[in-house]
Amino acid sequence: MSTQRTTQEEDPVATLAEGLSLWVGKLSDLVKKVVDTGPIRNVVNWARMYSLWPVNITTACCSAEFGAASGARHDLERFGVLPIGSLRQSDLIVIEGTITKKMAKRLRMIYDQMALPRYVIAMGDCAMSGGLFHDSYSIVNGAHEFVPVDVYVPGCPPRPEALEQAIIMLQEKIRRSKVYEQG
Amino acid sequence: MSAPSKPVPLTTVESTETSDSGAQTLTLSVGPQHSGSGHMRLIVEVDGDIIVNVAPDPGYVHRGIEKIIELRNIIKSIPVIERPSIIDASNLNHAWVRSIEEIQGVEVPRRGQYLRTLLNEMNRIMSHLYWLSIYGVFLGHTTMFMWPLGDRELFIDLAEKLTGARITYSYLVPGGVRRDLPPGFAEEAVKRTEYFEKRLKEYDRIFFNNPLFTSRAKGIGVLSKEKAIELGCTGPTLRGSGVDADLRKDEPYAAYSELEFEVSTRPDGDSFSRAMVHMDEMRESCKMIRQIVKKIPAGPIRRKAPIVLPRGVAYGRVESARGECSFYLIGEGGDKPYRARYITGSYRNMAAIPAVLLGNRLADMPTAWWSIDYWPVEADR
Ligand code: SF4
Repeated sequence: MSTQRTTQEEDPVATLAEGLSLWVGKLSDLVKKVVDTGPIRNVVNWARMYSLWPVNITTACCSAEFGAASGARHDLERFGVLPIGSLRQSDLIVIEGTITKKMAKRLRMIYDQMALPRYVIAMGDCAMSGGLFHDSYSIVNGAHEFVPVDVYVPGCPPRPEALEQAIIMLQEKIRRSKVYEQG
Repeated sequence: MSAPSKPVPLTTVESTETSDSGAQTLTLSVGPQHSGSGHMRLIVEVDGDIIVNVAPDPGYVHRGIEKIIELRNIIKSIPVIERPSIIDASNLNHAWVRSIEEIQGVEVPRRGQYLRTLLNEMNRIMSHLYWLSIYGVFLGHTTMFMWPLGDRELFIDLAEKLTGARITYSYLVPGGVRRDLPPGFAEEAVKRTEYFEKRLKEYDRIFFNNPLFTSRAKGIGVLSKEKAIELGCTGPTLRGSGVDADLRKDEPYAAYSELEFEVSTRPDGDSFSRAMVHMDEMRESCKMIRQIVKKIPAGPIRRKAPIVLPRGVAYGRVESARGECSFYLIGEGGDKPYRARYITGSYRNMAAIPAVLLGNRLADMPTAWWSIDYWPVEADR
């Protein structure tokens, strides 16, 4: 917007811009409608569900099984899950176990910084309800208290197979959802 | 090594300030979300790219385990005390049951002792392999991330046969162990350890003799012998600095006095030495596993132990994968301890992190940092 607004009322450029933005708004509504129907949605969702990159954040001991799941035998990469260090490029947080009060703030920050659409898997009993440490003074009982959770994985720690199942469930969820309602 | 004088905010880059020498330094906050693994933050002050000050900020996984132990009975505490180092669960479990048995005055049958040692050594291998795979992540070596995790499954399967769980066994209980050897275990163990030793040679070929690794690890993160002792380091970190200290030899517990093994030490104290100590220990553990399944005596695996903790004080310690892990336990006659002080290897080795990082380049940080084998969950408890 480099236009100098000296004569606000009669500036033809401003009027034009206003009208244009109205039109652009209408157009984007139209685009959303078109994208959300039929084959385009399928293509977008297909792309999203097979490139779920989790951000590289470990919260507690369930990370050992997350490591085992992304390692050689279980190899999460065949589901398109590639742990990555950069949170801007990732679409998934796998909360690996206990969330302490100190960590919860950081997790929420990381969640807020991620680009849409973003998904959350809460792994382990601790991330579901506090689990083994439910009566501790320093933990948050459940990930849902500060981020919306898509899939819960019970177990202490869950086996890698359970995590794979969670990924498949999340992919199923993405496949069914609308393009602009995700995250 | 001193902490920064003012609280560091959460942003990545805090400020540029001029130090006394007139040089511009920059304070970086590495973590708790970083591209390696481990949920801790290092507040690193760099001058150019030379690290001039490091302050570790642990506590992201502090779950108050010492307090929780006071609220549960001594058997129910076993899963809780295993959780800090879930990849090395049975060694921590061993420290706990040792301190309980010392107060109760319970003798463990010899077969039970052997089975404990067996699982401990398997756990040591698994833990070192996990460390190695994360080292691969830190150094950007994908093969070294995949291979150790794949070979770790060999021992996970073995442990699952023995105990019924993949990594959280709760296998050691006061008085002995929960289960006896399953049929066919000995042959399987021998087969797997022999295969694994062959694999270790390939590790040497692809990683430890690889200039990609050696040029980044040799002479980086040097911790001198005196400094390591002064800081109270333990485990592979201490042995990597040339100190011959291993509880399994110095104060043999369980079946270690009847097994033949060598304590590996390296004189240089750099990242490479510490890595090689880990490798040597895995070889020794393989040998020990084969000795155990050959020598294991017949007899009961468990003696009856009371669930109460009599009045008394005990200090039980073992050599876990990351160094000495100990419990200071006070009983007061109930089924819960009055107080349990829980000290783990990573907690002691945290002091070494600033020492190995200072004076190095920022790019060398991953090599030096992870060679300490710092497992934040274990340190924070
Ligand atoms: S669910 Fe169990 S394994 Fe996972 S973080 Fe909690 S205590 Fe650890």
